[in-house]
Amino acid sequence: MTAIAAPKAASPAGPARRWRRSARRWGWPYLFVAPFVAVFVAFSVYPMVFTFRLSFTKWHGAGLAEWVGWENYGYLLSSPAFWESLRNSAALWLLIVPAQMALALAIALLLNNAALRLRNLYRVAIIVPFVTPLVAVAQIWIVLFDQDYGAVNSVLKVFGIPDIGWLVTSQWAKPTLALLFIWKTTGFIMIILLSGLQSIDPAYYEAAAIDGAGRLRQVTGITLPLLRRTLMFAIVMQTLAVFQMFTEPYVVTKGGPYNSTTTAGLYLYNHINRADLGTGSANSFLLVVIVMGLSLLFVRLLSPKD
Amino acid sequence: MKDTPTKRLATLAALVLAVGLTAACGPDIAANTPSGPTSEPPQTNPDRLQAPSEASPTGEIVIWDRSGDLYEVFDAVIESFNAKYPGITVHHEAVDIAAKLQNTLITGTDVPDGVFLDDAYVAGYKDHLWDLSDVLAPYLDKITKQKIDVNTVADGIYGVPYDLDPGLLFYNAAALDKAGIDPAAINTYDDLLAAAKKYQDYRPSAKPIHLEQGAWLGQLQLEMYANQLATSMADANGELRLNSPEYLKILTWLDEVAKQGLGTRAEYLTPSDIGALEAGDEVFYPWAIWFDFAPQQQLPITSGQWRAMQLPAWETGGARGGAMGGSSFILPKQGKNSQLAWLFYEFLMFDETGYTAVYGPNKVYPGGLNTSIPAYQPAADPAKPLFKPVEALGNQDLWTTAIEAGKQIPGGTPTPTWWDGAVEYLGNNVQKMLDGAMTPQEVLDQSAKDIQANLVDRQ
Repeated sequence: MTAIAAPKAASPAGPARRWRRSARRWGWPYLFVAPFVAVFVAFSVYPMVFTFRLSFTKWHGAGLAEWVGWENYGYLLSSPAFWESLRNSAALWLLIVPAQMALALAIALLLNNAALRLRNLYRVAIIVPFVTPLVAVAQIWIVLFDQDYGAVNSVLKVFGIPDIGWLVTSQWAKPTLALLFIWKTTGFIMIILLSGLQSIDPAYYEAAAIDGAGRLRQVTGITLPLLRRTLMFAIVMQTLAVFQMFTEPYVVTKGGPYNSTTTAGLYLYNHINRADLGTGSANSFLLVVIVMGLSLLFVRLLSPKD
Repeated sequence: MKDTPTKRLATLAALVLAVGLTAACGPDIAANTPSGPTSEPPQTNPDRLQAPSEASPTGEIVIWDRSGDLYEVFDAVIESFNAKYPGITVHHEAVDIAAKLQNTLITGTDVPDGVFLDDAYVAGYKDHLWDLSDVLAPYLDKITKQKIDVNTVADGIYGVPYDLDPGLLFYNAAALDKAGIDPAAINTYDDLLAAAKKYQDYRPSAKPIHLEQGAWLGQLQLEMYANQLATSMADANGELRLNSPEYLKILTWLDEVAKQGLGTRAEYLTPSDIGALEAGDEVFYPWAIWFDFAPQQQLPITSGQWRAMQLPAWETGGARGGAMGGSSFILPKQGKNSQLAWLFYEFLMFDETGYTAVYGPNKVYPGGLNTSIPAYQPAADPAKPLFKPVEALGNQDLWTTAIEAGKQIPGGTPTPTWWDGAVEYLGNNVQKMLDGAMTPQEVLDQSAKDIQANLVDRQ
């Protein structure tokens, strides 16, 4: 970029004229990005700074906020409930993300096969849960997984399996919630992976086939390495989603039984809901730090080595 | 573009400036100086709402109600309100109050003039609300004490009491009759336990008494039992008094029901609950009056078989009434026409035309609104029922039963601002106890400790 220096040398014009010209040259780009910057500052920077400031106060939404320094952070970091909410989210991550990635990849590979008939129909069918309102799905889940009158236990009973307290025992509530999340969002992940698959040059597969590589070898030798960046994106997305998970436990289990499904997102909401805005703000920043750390970790682990 | 030190410095300065400017837009911060109670004499307290002086005031008010049947009921009353106050236009909105109210009050944007709110939340919004002591003064001695108490924080009253929700013992009369059980003989909770055993002997698959499995509603029901014993989690000063003989007595009884296999563990009116109720396995339901909605709407098989009676007493001669839930109307200070909103609620609650329109037969409830009774005693006259006998309760005169139960409710205390948060501790621990993982005393010890540390001390 030599644009700044060029007018200086070429133009004999006075400083005012040079300044105007320079302002025109530099001004336009700023003018074009100004609307975005304004919206970004209003809806992202401002809330973030506001929240950060709030995290050092005790404020219940009215009157003066009381400055408490690091007290809210100290309280959270020494609170067993805070760590339990993180453990719950981590357990849900383990139940959801690996299984979902494998499932979404398998479906994407299947739907990427040009020989498959009714491909578009399957694609639509798989994305339908993702576009269905979550609250409606959650209500269906409650009915399906009712311990005494749910369809799932009725089917299991046919095979002699006794009633399972899917939503009312701490042992089963997390897997049931994980199942709901997987069912709801796998279609979205599949679409992301499918777009990654379609960007792989078919020539690689043709060359591999000529060299005698079978289907499995092609997947492990070509597909997975070339899909690494897309997979990384999907994993980071789902990590964010799982740690912010709120609606599913809020509607289905209210965080119970015994807080076993109180996710990090729901725990944060509980502070806000009872107008403990300072602690809620501190909690949200701790969550940002944790999720950012995890995301960076995955980016590092999954970045292509080329 | 070259990244020169000057540009870096300019960028950094711009960032700092932006952060500084945005940070300045937050709430004002006091340096470790919690605000104390006002020292102003009550008569000059600017936080107290005064009634308008004009005979026929004019203006517009925005009223929030939760969507559903009550919205429809209140909406239908606006016409008769306008007959009395033709100059007031009511904008009646169905709103998800739990989701919107807090944000609206904090930001001060589009604040409504009046809001329907659960009693449990009134104290939590106190700082945003008008103290209604002056406008309510003419009615105070005619309103059920418990409703005044739950809306009172320090010296102020922050809600217009709407309904009284007395707890009742709902029972399946047909099922008990077959088992040879006379419900009239159930006077104490020990009697109820004995009746449940007898019913189980008659029907071994039965678990006759409802044991709430939801932590929030379970805690609400626990407070109903506690209210019968004239206690509550916090005293009038907000001090925790959970670890008490009264709570121990209640929890011990609930524990006994669970241990003896006499309780149906289910969340309120979920499929499990409905199934057990309809099958005749669950025949006793100690709950607020609003359970009568179930036989009317949710229990087609056993509808007509259910009846309601006063709650059993904890000891012979003890109170047979306890409040479970309830709602009031709050008036935010940031509302534009709070005085006119007060006139609306005054009409609804204390004017005979108003409360008759609310509780009497209407389009939504052809027999009258029978899921609660008025907190205003002149409206709750046993001789002048506002709603008709309930067909789903075998045409029982629920009005008289509920009014009598309401009279027995001991006074209450303000619901502490942290009540909702206590569910995380007390509500969950009660569930653990019912699952056999804690003893009643452990529930009280652990919950009191956690509530004190995490909620009371952090107020």
